[in-house]
Amino acid sequence: MSKQQNKSINPVFIVTLGVVFIAIAFMLFAFPLNAQSADTGTWSQLVVAFITGITTGGLSCLAVQGGLLASSLANQIEQDYVEQAANKKQKTPVRTNSAFPIFLFLVAKLVAYTLLGALLGWLGSFLTLSPMTRAMLLIAIGIFMIGNALRMFNVHPIFRYFSVEPPKFITRYIRRTAKGTDTATPLFLGALTVFIPCGVTQAMMATALGTGSVAMGAALMFAFILGTSPVFFIVAYLTTELGSRLEKFFMRFVAVVLLILGFVTLDGGLNVLGSPLSFQNLTRSWLPSQSETAPSAESPQPSAPEGSSELILNVEDNGYFPSTLKAPADKAFTLNLVTNQTYSCARDFVIPALDYYELLPDTGTVQVNIPAQEKGSTLFFTCSMGMYTGQIVFE
Amino acid sequence: MIKKTFKIPDMTCSACAMKLESLEDDLDGVKEINASYHRLEMVIEYEEAKLTDEQIIAAVKKKGYNAVLAN
Repeated sequence: MSKQQNKSINPVFIVTLGVVFIAIAFMLFAFPLNAQSADTGTWSQLVVAFITGITTGGLSCLAVQGGLLASSLANQIEQDYVEQAANKKQKTPVRTNSAFPIFLFLVAKLVAYTLLGALLGWLGSFLTLSPMTRAMLLIAIGIFMIGNALRMFNVHPIFRYFSVEPPKFITRYIRRTAKGTDTATPLFLGALTVFIPCGVTQAMMATALGTGSVAMGAALMFAFILGTSPVFFIVAYLTTELGSRLEKFFMRFVAVVLLILGFVTLDGGLNVLGSPLSFQNLTRSWLPSQSETAPSAESPQPSAPEGSSELILNVEDNGYFPSTLKAPADKAFTLNLVTNQTYSCARDFVIPALDYYELLPDTGTVQVNIPAQEKGSTLFFTCSMGMYTGQIVFE
Repeated sequence: MIKKTFKIPDMTCSACAMKLESLEDDLDGVKEINASYHRLEMVIEYEEAKLTDEQIIAAVKKKGYNAVLAN
């Protein structure tokens, strides 16, 4: 896109659309605050997807799919100039319509990725058979994200293989289609972006697969692509205004965020595996004060009186309290999992070492029989996404 | 027809490969271009009578990349 071409984009239209996208974004944030019965775990996942989109996805996607959009725009602009030249003789001014194809492109992209998310979620429902499968998937997604971040940092040529190259016939077909000038072209090209996802999008697609739900997969991809849209829109307009150095800075920023998200996802996978090497499990033993975390005032206090064969674990929206339970060694006991209007993914309770998995009721008590364990051993527990964790120490 | 390989060290993602392959439509005498981000190279099949290495390098430069003829 030349600078001359960029001048033809109507900035008022762009700003209006940007405002609309941002308004939708705010609605996404505001809605869960008012929805008392909403599953906060689900919402937090969607908000994370949206933030990922708005912070890194937009720029990363633009790097991969921007060429397509530019082709689509260039053809539209070219057509506008031809019309303008033809009308010059009649002295009739022609307004350029460059912002409209961007809008069509993004709408088609949003719809296409939402459908793709639904498909991935459906496929994932066959994979999410056990917490172990989920753990392996989380670890794979984490490695994929970290690999892509290292690729962006150009750490080693091997990391280039984390970028999936679409088959030649697809890229050729997309390129040829991009030459059209009708309204259907940007729509079609927007939809075709599903075949050339960027690294961050690929990671999000893997996450959609991990949800194992058609609705959640679709919602996740919708939130992510919605997040990418304002950035995509604005940067597409300002592309030539950004120098290569600034562009490099943005890509580094994308890589840093992707690296962090990758480690968080990998850590989640390790938690679901019950690994003592996860960041949360490692730091819990290094920082003993964390185990003293008190439950909220309205929750029943956990108790483990001498000789008692029962322990209480409060399952709350923001985790398990206390995060460290102490239990007598060589003695079986009952663990009471108490929920009280708990809606987050903390309800998806997993004890990996015992192969125990249970979706707890939002309010109530579920009892788990814990067999006798050796002195000095530790049983880790977690939610099924590896976000909230805790441990039982046997002494 | 001749087939030559050019190293493109400054490709940053698979979209770059797609961008370079679009030279198929821009350059006269080109039969096929296969660019790979994984290998940071572009294999071009073209009619030698219609196109020179310098023209190819210049066209790649126009796309925003540096091309070096591989041995």
